Amino acid sequence: MIAWIAGFAVLLVKIGLVLGVLLFLAAYLVWAERKLLGRLQIRYGPNRAGIFGLLQPIADAIKMMTKEDIVPEAADRTIFLLAPAVVAVTAMLMAAVVPFGPTITLWGRQVPMVVTDLNVGLLFVFAMSSLGVYGVALGGWASNSKFALLGGIRGAAQMISYELALGLSIVPVVMLAGSLSLVDIVDAQASYPFILVQPVAFVIFVVSAMAESKRIPFDLPEAENELGAGYHTEYSGMRFGMFFIGEYVHMQVLGALIAVFFLGGWRGPLLPGPLWLLIKIIVVALVMIWVRGTLPRLRYDQLMALGWKVLIPAALANIVITGAVVLL
Amino acid sequence: MNPDERHYRKLKPVPPQRFRTISEIGEALNALGQGFVTTFRHLFRKPITEEYPEYKRTLPERSRARIVLTRDPDGNERCVACYLCSAACPVSCISMQSAEDDNGRRYARWFRINFGRCIYCGLCEEACPTSAIQLTPQFEHVKREILSMVYEKEDLLVDHSGKDKTYNFYRWAGIRTGDRDKGEHEREDKPVNVRSNMP
Amino acid sequence: MPTLTIDNRRIEVPEGTKVIEAAEALGIMIPRFCYHRALGSVGACRVCAVKIVDGTRKGVQMSCMLDVEEGMVVSTDDPEAVAMRRHVIEWLMLHHPHDCPVCDEGGHCLLQDMTVSGGHGLRRYLGNKRTHLDQYLGPRIQHEMNRCIQCYRCVRYYREFSGYRDLGVTGIGNRVYFGREREGTLENPFSGNLIDICPTGVFTDKPARYFGRRWDLQRGPSVCIHCSLGCSVTVGARYREVARVEARYAKAVNGHFICDRGRWGFPYTNEASRPRAARVDGEATTVGEACAAARNRLLHVAETAGSEAVACLGSERAGLETLKAVAGICRANGWADPLFWLERRARENVAAAVSLLGDDLVLSLRELEAADCVLVFGADPLGEAPMAALALRQARRQGAPVFVFDPRPVELPLDFHHVPLAIEDLPECIRSLVGAAGDRETARGADPTVRSFTDQLAEPSVPPPPEAVAALRTSRRPAVVCGTDVTDAAAIGLAADFAALMKAQGRRAGLFYLMPGANGFGAALAGTEAASLEELLPRIEGGEIRALVAVEADPLGLYPDRGRIEAAMRKLDLLVVLDYLDTDSAAAADVFLPSTTVFETGGTWINQEGRIQIVRGAHRGGIPVSQTGGGGHPPRVFMEEVPGGQAAASGQTLTRLSPAEVKGASEWVRLPPDTDKQSGTRAVLPDPSALRFAPERTALSGAAGDEAMLTVIAVDRTFGTEVLSSRSPWLSAEETAPTVWMHPEEAGRVPLSDGDLLEIDAGGGSLVLPVKIVENMARRTLVIPRHRDAAWQRLGATRLRIERDCIRKAQPVGENAPVKESPPR
Repeated sequence: MIAWIAGFAVLLVKIGLVLGVLLFLAAYLVWAERKLLGRLQIRYGPNRAGIFGLLQPIADAIKMMTKEDIVPEAADRTIFLLAPAVVAVTAMLMAAVVPFGPTITLWGRQVPMVVTDLNVGLLFVFAMSSLGVYGVALGGWASNSKFALLGGIRGAAQMISYELALGLSIVPVVMLAGSLSLVDIVDAQASYPFILVQPVAFVIFVVSAMAESKRIPFDLPEAENELGAGYHTEYSGMRFGMFFIGEYVHMQVLGALIAVFFLGGWRGPLLPGPLWLLIKIIVVALVMIWVRGTLPRLRYDQLMALGWKVLIPAALANIVITGAVVLL
Repeated sequence: MNPDERHYRKLKPVPPQRFRTISEIGEALNALGQGFVTTFRHLFRKPITEEYPEYKRTLPERSRARIVLTRDPDGNERCVACYLCSAACPVSCISMQSAEDDNGRRYARWFRINFGRCIYCGLCEEACPTSAIQLTPQFEHVKREILSMVYEKEDLLVDHSGKDKTYNFYRWAGIRTGDRDKGEHEREDKPVNVRSNMP
Repeated sequence: MPTLTIDNRRIEVPEGTKVIEAAEALGIMIPRFCYHRALGSVGACRVCAVKIVDGTRKGVQMSCMLDVEEGMVVSTDDPEAVAMRRHVIEWLMLHHPHDCPVCDEGGHCLLQDMTVSGGHGLRRYLGNKRTHLDQYLGPRIQHEMNRCIQCYRCVRYYREFSGYRDLGVTGIGNRVYFGREREGTLENPFSGNLIDICPTGVFTDKPARYFGRRWDLQRGPSVCIHCSLGCSVTVGARYREVARVEARYAKAVNGHFICDRGRWGFPYTNEASRPRAARVDGEATTVGEACAAARNRLLHVAETAGSEAVACLGSERAGLETLKAVAGICRANGWADPLFWLERRARENVAAAVSLLGDDLVLSLRELEAADCVLVFGADPLGEAPMAALALRQARRQGAPVFVFDPRPVELPLDFHHVPLAIEDLPECIRSLVGAAGDRETARGADPTVRSFTDQLAEPSVPPPPEAVAALRTSRRPAVVCGTDVTDAAAIGLAADFAALMKAQGRRAGLFYLMPGANGFGAALAGTEAASLEELLPRIEGGEIRALVAVEADPLGLYPDRGRIEAAMRKLDLLVVLDYLDTDSAAAADVFLPSTTVFETGGTWINQEGRIQIVRGAHRGGIPVSQTGGGGHPPRVFMEEVPGGQAAASGQTLTRLSPAEVKGASEWVRLPPDTDKQSGTRAVLPDPSALRFAPERTALSGAAGDEAMLTVIAVDRTFGTEVLSSRSPWLSAEETAPTVWMHPEEAGRVPLSDGDLLEIDAGGGSLVLPVKIVENMARRTLVIPRHRDAAWQRLGATRLRIERDCIRKAQPVGENAPVKESPPR
């Protein structure tokens, strides 16, 4: 009984830790993104709230929470209210299977540095990622607005197209690691990170991951200059904020997954595991911001062509080659 | 054949996509890389932002912000309430009522601009035939109270001629006012004596 | 039917068509200033130049002066023609004062449009401009000669079309001037059309001066309700205020023009004194509460004295919807029969006219213009329906002789034969004309009814005027115009018989009645069995009728026996008034409910020829901003409620205050199907053949021969007598002063000289009026305008016979008390 309570307490602490880091990082990722984008465009970025604008995320949070939460009259109320939560929650749930350090021993108990080590962790990640699109599609549909609906449809179409490439690009990694558990995949990279042997898979995964997180140059579901704000056009206040948080959490989780699959996860010299993971996440996020500051949005046909005509065939070819190499 | 099909037939067929050579892919990657290099370099440049409340730059005379009603060089109101500005206004933020004063001059009995609605497009100034309505560079007139953004004529009227220092409509238009009778305007002959056939 | 080609499009047009008209038929609008469809071509402005590519005359020609030819090829966009037009405009603009910003025409100015579309932007000529001094042309028209382009439209309209002489043209060459001989108000009661017809801003609307641009007005098609002709007008309103009424082209009715009564008669809708709030016992309240109060009180009256004790009175100025609601509320509640008329004679006259007017005889105003001989019986066209006078002038311009048989000193803008006869002699006169109209044999062969009618015709006691007989003999398209105001049913019937007889003789004869009010026809259709207030008065005086609902009617102010109606109204337990005017009745009402005008809610009007005209409101109504804002700027805060916006159409309010539910659809007005889509079509007129040639009209006794009796008639004048337009401040200067007209012979018998005061003791009291002695009127007749200051309501009737000793000369000190007294209750 006591063991169970202790296990539960440890679990709660881990959940709290992961969530806290995720949300704090999401807030400051927004700040970092605005700041960095500003500099990329020879501007200052936020510099009014606190020194270097560091209090900007807090100001934004206060603003969003105090703003009126408007539900359009013609909207489907229940689904409209639920959709942002779906986006935010699925993004956070993905973080549950990401290992952030080696197993440690506390008071004689083996404590794995992962919230939960599912043996089908990879599938879980993809499942959650797919569920996230429901938030987008339903939010867009329930708004009963043409812009939101277009955004939602684009979001769904984009997810379907890139999910395939995303999944296929990981197959070689699984073949190399021999397991779907993320903990095992990280352990499999004890000697060398998979990026060295799977550069093609890495590129495909990164591109698909950016498309999954609906970031520039793949932000067609939002496309503020075509669709207003796409699927969240009609949202305001904290519900809009949840979409926002969802997007940035998703960004971090994808960064963590890239680290786990290709960069050796928490593994690294000198520094402790969790810190290594954090560094890798931030580096991935910064690269994503850099991409945003550099590339323009793809046209819809370009987006589809890239997904179906380039990434998926390349991923399939990669599987075949990897399979052949592993067999030999 | 339905009309749509006919329409499509008129369009030129799309030429088949050419096979991309390695060099083309290389060019694309190079261009992509150049983009990243450019933005990366920007990181180390000093931002060009002028920080507004600390530094206020002098705006050009013709920049478009708060609207005023100017006076002619003689100090009279230029506005003749011709309704052209309100007709040109794309957001319908100008309204007025014209009337005739004791001098026979047409003027605006009341004139109102709702700056809460104004988009500072300058079409009113362009439409104004008497150079009365003019946009000024003074843009800092935001108010907390929305009603105080509705400016009446007395708020709009200024005692200078603005950008056009010379034009006086009533000096040219051949209508009778207290200052000028028929034949006393610019480029006018004395009125014809209709009871005489002498040239 | 020559066929020609204009801009590569072929069109076949009748012989004699001008090229400009043929192009218009193709939808090609060739620029024009001097050409106007109503005035024809004159070739003064030179802006309609086109290139004739093939034809007998080639080259650049004026399209308004050129008749079409077979095989003609015209190009309107030939560079040569375009250059010509551009130069013409530049040249017309040489002396233009460049005052468009302060010109009221700006925005709907033909010259402005042509200048802009011709691309002329800068005056290249550096010489001085020729200038003109302006004239004061009265309170309604502003003159600004500098803007003139010498198209001559104004004088052509003024002198040729409408027949007045006081506006003319003087000067030569560059100095041509259009104006009066000396300053003064234009005498023409159709002068307002100068504003519409001037292609630039020489003549502009003075009352609407500087009110607003046309593009800012809420404009809508409407119909004029100031007489029975129902001319089409366009209403322009802004800031809850009707600003301008303009003529609207109506092919069958008024053509391009309207009279000044119709143009400037609208201020009643803007009046500051217009009652905007409901009142119960003099206390202002909401419409809802007043409706409830009226309903409760009506219920109370019906419960205590029976439902027959409630009466409802409409009027001939109300729209058909209102009249329908009046009839409906009476039937639904079992009240007394609906009333639509004050006087029995008016009811009978209009009912007779409506029942006798058949589809075979009825003429439109336009068709009246095409008549080749016009006989006017008991009507003063200029006074009763001014546009009819303009139509008569057009007939006269085509050569038709015009005969007017009327006791009044009729004036018309044309040369006509006036036969001033006593109104009682009118039936006899028509009968004599029927007898003399020639060729009875043909008519006799036609129909047994006609035969027996003509056989029974007694020999006329008055010989018919020989000129009229002569003109009738040769006429192919004779028209009979008959008034219903001062005449009686016998004259109205005989006029129809006369026209029908001429029709039976194989001519294209027509009948044209003038009727009281804008909707007299509708009122007659609405209440075939309806009585008049005059017939109901005994029941009010006897205490049978306890409550009266007056809908857009003013029994107190307009009933011709003021003393009697006041006493009767005092006997009522309840007087409910629905109106948009501050009438005497409204002031005396126990419950008053505001209603809306034609400009706000529109309605359906049937004009005197049975034409149904449906109009919508032009604006929402409410107290004008100029009144709520005290002349300053309108309120700065947004208000949900429109000030004075509670008023609804009378018909709607009536159904709200009715104790019983009023059925919407009603079968008593027989409108053609799809009337709503065919506004402007004629109502289905009842078959009048059974009523024509009634035997009782064959034998008539000339009653006027009695030298001891005088006939007093209270008549309509162009300005100042019609209920709505007489409230216009801009027309008051043109009103006929309240005088009594007398023949010099009658005046000599009193004796009286011009300007003396005459006291008349009539049925309803005595009144004192200055005398005006005129030659061209009937003997044994006194004519009094129904002017608000004439106290005609003391006569007792609008047409009555009095003993000769009832009139006497009055001393100047004698009070000439106005009829407006304090409300009786």
